[in-house]
Amino acid sequence: MASQNPTTRQIAMVLDLNKCIGCQTCTIACKKLWNTDTGTGYAYWNNVETLPGKGYPKDWVESGGRTPEGEVKAGRVPNLDDEYGRAWNFNHEAVRKRSGEGKEKPWLRPDGAPRWGANWDEDRGAGDYPQENHYFYLPRLCNHCTHPACLDACPRSAIEKRDEDGIVLVDQDRCHGYRFCVEACPYKKVYFDPKRQVSGKCIFCLPRIEEGVAPACARQCPGRLRFVGYLDDEAGPIWKLVNRYKVALPLHPEFELGPNVFYVPPMSPPKLDEKGRPTGEPRIPTEYLVGLFGKRVHEVLATLESEREKRRQGEPSELMDLLIAYDWNQNFALGPREREVL
Amino acid sequence: MIAAPVGLSPGGYVPKAYAERTAPKTPVAEFEAAKSGDVWQIRLRWACAEPHRELGDDVDRFIDAAAVLAPTVADAPMMTMGAPGKALEGALWRADRTGLIGVRAEGLGTVERGDAPEGWGAKAEWKAGRWSLDFELPGWSVLDARRRLAFAIWQGAEGGRGGLKSVSPGWIEIGT
Ligand code: SF4
Ligand code: SF4
Repeated sequence: MASQNPTTRQIAMVLDLNKCIGCQTCTIACKKLWNTDTGTGYAYWNNVETLPGKGYPKDWVESGGRTPEGEVKAGRVPNLDDEYGRAWNFNHEAVRKRSGEGKEKPWLRPDGAPRWGANWDEDRGAGDYPQENHYFYLPRLCNHCTHPACLDACPRSAIEKRDEDGIVLVDQDRCHGYRFCVEACPYKKVYFDPKRQVSGKCIFCLPRIEEGVAPACARQCPGRLRFVGYLDDEAGPIWKLVNRYKVALPLHPEFELGPNVFYVPPMSPPKLDEKGRPTGEPRIPTEYLVGLFGKRVHEVLATLESEREKRRQGEPSELMDLLIAYDWNQNFALGPREREVL
Repeated sequence: MIAAPVGLSPGGYVPKAYAERTAPKTPVAEFEAAKSGDVWQIRLRWACAEPHRELGDDVDRFIDAAAVLAPTVADAPMMTMGAPGKALEGALWRADRTGLIGVRAEGLGTVERGDAPEGWGAKAEWKAGRWSLDFELPGWSVLDARRRLAFAIWQGAEGGRGGLKSVSPGWIEIGT
């Protein structure tokens, strides 16, 4: 395991997967803000993938960097065509021009022949319709890990983890574009810019954080499902969700990197039997969720179920109120400079 | 040539992930060094089946490159790219660039790249499975003083970059 010491403070994010509608507003908010350089067309510091699915880059879970026991193993730099997917434009112009009466309207198509993309297997999911079909959305960003594999991989010490907030940053002036960080991060959340020949990654909207404003992905989320704050702030939403109610779990904890992005796992409606009657068994197999978030999924789903039941019975539930985000300001706790969400 | 020892590479990833990379990807390289006036002419040749001259927009492609280095002080260690206070300096050629890059290091992971000294250049040609690289390095006073050289060669097609390189087994004395 990498030997980075925990930092004085750690900023963190919780995402409630029960509320994500897969709108990609977060993806675009991030992309437009940070990744518009020509060499970063394919790069999404924030992406939202449909699960079950292969994700982005394709099959990233198998692209290496860590064994299931958390040991270092050789990872790969994904291929642009087959794994990330080359960014493409659509033939909007052709569709517009030939839309007149009597003319056959062409389909909207990508230029070129893309083989994968950041949202390629959207809404496919798994399971037979209508008994057990299911899917959910998984928004992903750098986990600003407590023990970052990317930092550990850089022979030039070009990656640092800030002591004041635990944000992991690439110093592009020091980066020589070796891409060991891309290989080593098992979440594949470092991206190489082949034009500038440097690596880049999510900066947790550092300039916004310093002004008390949550990252763009969180502030733009219409589902109000992202919570941002410091792990040690007992009055803040992160501590409540991670430590008090214990309903937020890291993605692939078995990589042993100590992710600081946490997820409230998705509940799901029941499967149906052959006569269309609910079986009581969740559509999203719990073991599938265990594979993503670890064994604690069982207890988290039980807590969510019982808190939800409380609300059904008209009893108070601070947890449900927080997750519902009646007051969006409670999603964010960013210290003295914090700005109110209007 | 030998494979630069990956076990020396800083950080926890490269030494483990590449532990088995012990054989050099460029086992043999030929070199000649001569001085004409104040210009060092250094010729390097090596086999390269698949030249990598540019990245294009690929993200998993690496570039062929070579470096020639000399110690700034007599006892600067070569295998660790110098040491604090015992710098190496020299020139880095990359197949995707025209000019040379000046390099200086005081230990592994400390390489600083900058402009090469005025007048330094190189001509490179890949033909029939071989790179020929001719450095022209006027006024290289460190080499005048130390008279020893080392080389490093990176094969892009083999994922060569950073410490994943073939190097001369030590300093090569070039006589007086
Ligand atoms: S998720 Fe990857 S890029 Fe982000 S800190 Fe962890 S190892 Fe580094
Ligand atoms: S903006 Fe929010 S709801 Fe939309 S995809 Fe992103 S996380 Fe999900």
